[in-house]
Amino acid sequence: MSTITAPRRAATLWGAAFFVGMFGTGILARRLDLGAIPSMLVMLPPMLLLIPLVRSSERAQAECGALSAATRRYNRRAMLWSFGYMVLLAVSVIANRQLHPGGPLLWLLAVLPALPILYLIWAMARYLAEEQDEYLRMRVVNAALGATALLLGVATVWGFLETFHVVDHVPGWMAVPVWAVGLGIGSAIGRWRDSR
Amino acid sequence: MKNRLKVLRAERGWSQQDLAERLEVSRQSVNAIETGRYDPSLPLAFRIADLFGMAIEDIFQRGE
Repeated sequence: MSTITAPRRAATLWGAAFFVGMFGTGILARRLDLGAIPSMLVMLPPMLLLIPLVRSSERAQAECGALSAATRRYNRRAMLWSFGYMVLLAVSVIANRQLHPGGPLLWLLAVLPALPILYLIWAMARYLAEEQDEYLRMRVVNAALGATALLLGVATVWGFLETFHVVDHVPGWMAVPVWAVGLGIGSAIGRWRDSR
Repeated sequence: MKNRLKVLRAERGWSQQDLAERLEVSRQSVNAIETGRYDPSLPLAFRIADLFGMAIEDIFQRGE
């Protein structure tokens, strides 16, 4: 049960390529001080790696008998969210630079990139409601609880470090990536337990 | 909780996948129940019992 199969290996490699690509281009854009719009353009190709990543993950899940219809639907929605986020973030940043808006339009542009995140939160709720397999649902709930614990812990420690001026301020929207990392770690632990 | 799922399945010549399809759950679920890593809910336990034509207590027993 613990042997690493070809689909799992492929999913791991696509996952590594995605994270290296995203973080690599992000760090590169920051180092070269590319500015918002070129940075987003540079980060677009690694974003496309999400497609083979999701497909290979589904093959790996199907192979170990853990792919449900609800999971497939969630994966489609999560991909839609990711691309929607990139598009709306670009629209907001570009419009803000070009139009220098104020008042309600500024509020609208500021909230625009948050909409796909709210959609993702809705998609997670839908997954839990639609998942017919109680064991798979329990695994996701456990991973989500672990992710929440990680987020609370990180936010609390970072918050006090900020209060004592040890570290810089981090925007509140960082909560979602931290939570997503926690969900990934929790899911990986669940799969590892299953493979023992 | 202990269970006789693996034995009952083997007696019928079913794979984990066969049993999973009959119960409309994932193969991972069957594996987790068989190996004692997961105790099914009462509705699923009833479905398992109905499938094998047995009472729940004939399949699941107290103990580690």
